[in-house]
Amino acid sequence: MANPDRDEAFWVSQARQGSDEAFTELVGLYQAPVYNLCYRMLGDPGSAEDAAQETFLRAYRYLHRYDPSRAFATWLLSIAAHYCIDRLRRARYALVPLDAEDSEGSVRELADPESPDPEAEVMKREQQELVQALLMNLEGKDRAAIVMRYWHSISEVEIAEALGLTVSAVKSRLHRARRVLASHWEEPSLRGSGERRPHESPAI
Amino acid sequence: MNHRPFESWLLEELDLTPGQKHELHLHLRECRDCAALAESGVALRSARVRPPAPGFAARFEGRLISHHRAERRRRLWGSLLLAAVGSGLFAWWIAPAVGAFVASPATSIAAWVQQLLHIALSARAILEVTQIMFRIVPDLAPSYLWMVLSSTLAGLGLLWSLSLWRFARGAQGV
Repeated sequence: MANPDRDEAFWVSQARQGSDEAFTELVGLYQAPVYNLCYRMLGDPGSAEDAAQETFLRAYRYLHRYDPSRAFATWLLSIAAHYCIDRLRRARYALVPLDAEDSEGSVRELADPESPDPEAEVMKREQQELVQALLMNLEGKDRAAIVMRYWHSISEVEIAEALGLTVSAVKSRLHRARRVLASHWEEPSLRGSGERRPHESPAI
Repeated sequence: MNHRPFESWLLEELDLTPGQKHELHLHLRECRDCAALAESGVALRSARVRPPAPGFAARFEGRLISHHRAERRRRLWGSLLLAAVGSGLFAWWIAPAVGAFVASPATSIAAWVQQLLHIALSARAILEVTQIMFRIVPDLAPSYLWMVLSSTLAGLGLLWSLSLWRFARGAQGV
């Protein structure tokens, strides 16, 4: 059975020697996490596609700066996060909505009518949309930290390296972000009527 | 309402003992803030990774080809511009000498020899002045002052190297 770590090291080493095919393999391996981070950061499929493509192009151009002692995925996500943070900053100053830039589509998480429980699928999709709406309340770096931590299970130490912060700053940003998300969790504009009460959470 | 220690249990995602779990459960029934924190945490942990539209890698390949094409075009234009500017500057520099040489070859050769002699004599004079300075300057100040000066210069050099190293290390994240 192929070892994914060995595959990654092999493709990275080939790509560093100038193989475009090897780099395209790496794009195939990491397209989902990079795209997901961009989508969670920018909130729009078109902008996320563009940002993810730009992330890989930057990674390709600066591959000689990659330190193989670090995880390649974290390095890629770091490039994506910095690019998205810059883009959010520019959009804020330019007062241009990100979704007005382009409109390339992506896979929309629609409920599968063939699913054994379409109602549960619809509920799951609604919850995904709710989480995305909540993320938009966070500041750029906090959003990046939350996505890295909860979607990609990256350690606080690696997040600190990726975002150029100290570990304690990452912890405090994660805590602050969690509090902001919780404060918006109860907003009626985000939640429909007749929902589960908080104390009825499956976690509890 | 006092959220301690429940809020930090939820934020730190600690492994709780059955007793602590029971306490937390009771607190969450009463505290809406902590319940929201717990429930939003569950939503985050169960969130899905959203994949791109099919054909992402193929679209990237297309983008990479365009990038290579643009890079090649930029390099070609850069080389052409550099060659044109270099040739122009060289022609501008050489034109008077070529003109003078064509008009009177003997005078031009004499002028070039004179120029070479002037350069050689200047280099020799600079060497002599430097040797004299090396003999005189150490006596102008006490030796400890020279040590302080050389240590300061070495420290500044080290600081410069460190900042270069930090800058290069910071560039890792692109």
